[in-house]
Amino acid sequence: MTAADWTWLAILGGGGALLRYLVDGWIGRRFPGEFPLGTFAINAAGSLALGLLVGLDVTKSTLFVFGTGLIGAFTTFSTWLFETVRLAEDGELAVAAANLAVSIAAGLAAGGAGWALGSVL
Amino acid sequence: MIRDCLKLTVYFGESDRAGSDLLADALFDAFERESIDAAVLLRGTEGFGIKQQVHTGRLLTLSEDLPLVAVAVDEPERIERLLPVVRSLVTGGLVTVERARLAAGRPDVQELPPGLGETVKLSVSVGRTERAAGGLAHLETVALLHRHGLDGATALLGLDGMVDGRRRRGRFFSRNADVPVVIVATGSRDAVASAAAALGRLLQEPRLTLERVDLCKRAGRTIAPPRVLADGDGALDRWQKLTIYADEDARHDGRSLYLQLVRRLRAERALGATALRGIWGFSDGGEPHGDPLLALRRRVPVVTTVIDRPSALQRWWPVVDELTAGAGLVTCEVVPAFHAVGPEVSVGGLRLARPQR
Repeated sequence: MTAADWTWLAILGGGGALLRYLVDGWIGRRFPGEFPLGTFAINAAGSLALGLLVGLDVTKSTLFVFGTGLIGAFTTFSTWLFETVRLAEDGELAVAAANLAVSIAAGLAAGGAGWALGSVL
Repeated sequence: MIRDCLKLTVYFGESDRAGSDLLADALFDAFERESIDAAVLLRGTEGFGIKQQVHTGRLLTLSEDLPLVAVAVDEPERIERLLPVVRSLVTGGLVTVERARLAAGRPDVQELPPGLGETVKLSVSVGRTERAAGGLAHLETVALLHRHGLDGATALLGLDGMVDGRRRRGRFFSRNADVPVVIVATGSRDAVASAAAALGRLLQEPRLTLERVDLCKRAGRTIAPPRVLADGDGALDRWQKLTIYADEDARHDGRSLYLQLVRRLRAERALGATALRGIWGFSDGGEPHGDPLLALRRRVPVVTTVIDRPSALQRWWPVVDELTAGAGLVTCEVVPAFHAVGPEVSVGGLRLARPQR
């Protein structure tokens, strides 16, 4: 990794966090129901994008900057679990379980689809 | 001694600003300048306002802008002096003014004025770590209210406040010993009178705020539906406030009662609703409690407040009635002055409507 890679990692990492904040807020304000749709959409989109990068067989430094930096900062494991715990606190156990199951299923499907798509391109 | 006072309430958002300051800070700085007798800042967990925008602690990104409620109680002249300042600071939110009575010292049964009616709401503020009768003051106060047969009591943790005209602000790295905890309770006139006298012995010089309320439902049973009022004549509008007290684990159709309340009221386009999570309390005839230790599900009492025009309240009352079929203490109050402001919105005004006694 070059100094330029590390610089881009920092810039795109910050950009990914900012993008998540904006996208999550936008979705959350429009769909404020029990299911945390914003975090779900972000993680699924991130899985698709990461699958695509891997499938495209990009260079190590591209994967580092975009995969680890941009997508790594954009997606969020901790928020996913935080919101699941908040649902369980409110006794919304069915929605909490659905949030776990649907996110895992969608993440795997999106990652796989991205990979397949990237390999074809 | 019991004297008339006014209660000013501002409902707004945590990230709202007044110029370069946070609105919450600007409001309490104003309260401090006026040496307001009693004030508290409370943070809600779920709610919406006139723009119908949802504020929630359930979603991480949205939880930076939770609903806030600032309440100030003092003599009518001082609250009226505060109004122009508050009006200039609040560019988005809801301001209400309600009539109340402030009791200091040891009020006894004979002293409760007849204007308070058959059901009375009692609020008392104690310090967060204040002690009384060998325990924490807020826990002892709730226990006393339960012993005296009140229908419900909820202890709400303040973030900022004024006690006896002095600022008591919560800070991140601090014990926050003096920051107020407000206990809000509802009961029959007799129960409140005997509890008020006992509180005078439990706490050092407590200040009790007493308000007239109508009891609508208790433990899911209807006592009296909210009274039907006219909306007013435009110049002097009248508003009604409905408050629902229930535990966080209270259910309607297997779903969280307070979340369903806020969601359904928003669907009905009510003007606004705020749910506040207490730290200790009781309702529906249960024992005082907080959250159980080592349990994921929360059980703390939650207070949900909705304010709207009388005609609108009649429209969505069946929804509240249906949701609280199995649980919940519901009270109704007349709000004589109400002003909701936002970008391109201004509803109501702050002239006091005539008392409905």
